[in-house]
Amino acid sequence: MLQGTIIYGFINSVMLLLVALGFNLTFGISGVANFAFGALYITAGFLAWIGLNTLGLPYWLAGPAAVFITAVLAGLLYRFVVLRVRGLVVSEVIATFGVGLAILELFRFLGFIGFEYTLPEMLDLEVSLAGVIVDGQRLAILLVGAGLTLFLWWFTRHTRTGRAFRAIAQDEHTALTLGINTERVATVSVAFGAAYAAVAALVILPLGTIAVNEGYHVLVNALAVCIVGGLGSTLGVVVASFMIGFAQTFTATYLDTSWMMVVSLLAILVILLARPSGLFGSQKQLEERI
Amino acid sequence: MASKSAWRVLGLALLLLTAWTAAPAGAAEPIVLGVPSSLGAVEGKESLNAVKLAVEEINQAGGVKVAGQARQMVVEAIDIRDSSPGVPVPEALLGIEKMILEKKPHAILVGPFRSEALLAGMDIIAKYKVPMLGTIAMTPESEKKIQSDPEKYKYIFRVSLNVPNWAKLLGGTMKALQTQFGLNKVYLMNQDVLWARGTANAMKGWYTANGWYVQGHDEYPTGAGDFAPVLMKAKTGGAHVLFTCFDMPESGILVKQWKSQKVPALMAGFISPMTGQGAWKAFDGKIGGVLNAIFELGNMPSQKYAPATAFYQAYEKKYGKGLEAGHGPAPSYESVYLLKEALEKAGTTEADAVVAALEKTDRQGVMGRVKFDAGHQVIYGTDPKEAATACFFQWTDDGKRMIVYPPALAEGEIKLPSWMKPAK
Repeated sequence: MLQGTIIYGFINSVMLLLVALGFNLTFGISGVANFAFGALYITAGFLAWIGLNTLGLPYWLAGPAAVFITAVLAGLLYRFVVLRVRGLVVSEVIATFGVGLAILELFRFLGFIGFEYTLPEMLDLEVSLAGVIVDGQRLAILLVGAGLTLFLWWFTRHTRTGRAFRAIAQDEHTALTLGINTERVATVSVAFGAAYAAVAALVILPLGTIAVNEGYHVLVNALAVCIVGGLGSTLGVVVASFMIGFAQTFTATYLDTSWMMVVSLLAILVILLARPSGLFGSQKQLEERI
Repeated sequence: MASKSAWRVLGLALLLLTAWTAAPAGAAEPIVLGVPSSLGAVEGKESLNAVKLAVEEINQAGGVKVAGQARQMVVEAIDIRDSSPGVPVPEALLGIEKMILEKKPHAILVGPFRSEALLAGMDIIAKYKVPMLGTIAMTPESEKKIQSDPEKYKYIFRVSLNVPNWAKLLGGTMKALQTQFGLNKVYLMNQDVLWARGTANAMKGWYTANGWYVQGHDEYPTGAGDFAPVLMKAKTGGAHVLFTCFDMPESGILVKQWKSQKVPALMAGFISPMTGQGAWKAFDGKIGGVLNAIFELGNMPSQKYAPATAFYQAYEKKYGKGLEAGHGPAPSYESVYLLKEALEKAGTTEADAVVAALEKTDRQGVMGRVKFDAGHQVIYGTDPKEAATACFFQWTDDGKRMIVYPPALAEGEIKLPSWMKPAK
């Protein structure tokens, strides 16, 4: 049973990592905590579903189209909503949360309620890992999780846009003096974060159904991981995903399943009390020291 | 300018005059049916659809005849969202009160989704004296409350399954599994909400009393989406049956994990995403072998009871697809007819008279014969000719839903999944 707990703990951690990477990327670069993140995740799921079932598109077209449209929507959200309140942190949170709420409730209003909203599995197979049977979709989650993490690392170090991401993440004003269009880069970063949310949706949602309420859960999970890891720190997000992911699975196996969801909330509470900027966050390190 | 305004006033007056003359002379006030429920949940959405279907049928047939006057029915709905995690009960109650005060319904149908909201909402219903025919919330505590103060709470009825009758259905099915295959080791899994907790605890007692070994019991918070740890525990411990009780969309994941991990235990209970015919396609055909309950006959068709099939097909014809919910729609449809009969019998819309007529209900409907007990709970049995009936069906490996219990409705025998062997 221990092997099983470790393997499923690992998969659970990668799922958390997938949902948190995009949220963290957006915050780390543009400084915007995108509270519409969960709604964008669900939007991607429904868009893919519409592409596959209503429009009859093949998966190789419906999936990427859903990712692209979600990214464009997020970019528009930044240009037309967030930009007007940029720098006013509370207003940013209220604006993005409001838009997220509107998107999710719009889906509910439009009748996207039911159990028929599912996405097809990417890998229809079962594999035995150390005597533990793991289904193909969870393997796909592992592969995509690893792929997206490595891609993010490569992208931010070896591409012009990626380096611009890092530049404004380090100091926006200095980046401006170097001729980087920070507004444009910030828009791209929000769209990039949303694309990550969309890819996460395409690999995680096939495990069950696409439900509006899932948007709220995803936001809570992404927030928990980012707060624990330190907002803006990719290494922090990776470490926090594994900490919370393993803690949830071990709690469910050896303690009580009803405590499973409490783990992430407890982690937020402990971190906020002990180290408010998170494990690897540098945001308020100075204030903490003082 | 002045002449322009005069023309506008004249135009408006003409419009009003036309509307007034077009209205049928002496048209009777419609009967208003309020549906405050979780319309964002499948059970709530389809229950509202079922109410609308019945209302349409009744209106087309001439409406309700109250004291010699034919009256049409109209439906007013409000989403009280009590099925969503994080929506507090007081907010749901505000929705019910808003509905009563603003729409002034003659009766409330469907009602709260969560038992927690029903129990708290009973005082509001009693305060405004509006007959309510609930069809989703399942706690028997409401019946106790009615019996403790019948004069105050007499307005509340339940037309659907409640937890004790659900436990009886489960008991009968489990007994069949024990007799047929020698299964006697169970692992219980349920959602951490009142009705599911009540069911699981009742079943725990039943299993112990009937010679079963309870290997474990786990409760999942609403929204949980990974069931692997518990499935591993059940597999390691050698459970024969996985008892399930869930109404959240994420519970579909449980079945796919059970199938992919090939847990050698029969999954039996209630998982709401497994109930509709669409589940086979939605879950890539990976649900064969699951035993799932239908809380009220009519929510799925039956080869042995024609009224259930007639309702199911009428719903499918009107809305273009079959029911997905195994709980709610059939009794919601039935409620409209029960109310029609009560109004016609009472000859008035006055609440106390309607309640008195409802108490005397005896109707052969889509879910079986409908009669109420002292706690205003519809009486359940195992034969639809005698009482309201729930059933168990099994997903076959070729994607069909086959009723396997009770015997009066059974269309085939229970089969164990291909990777599981009988215990005897």
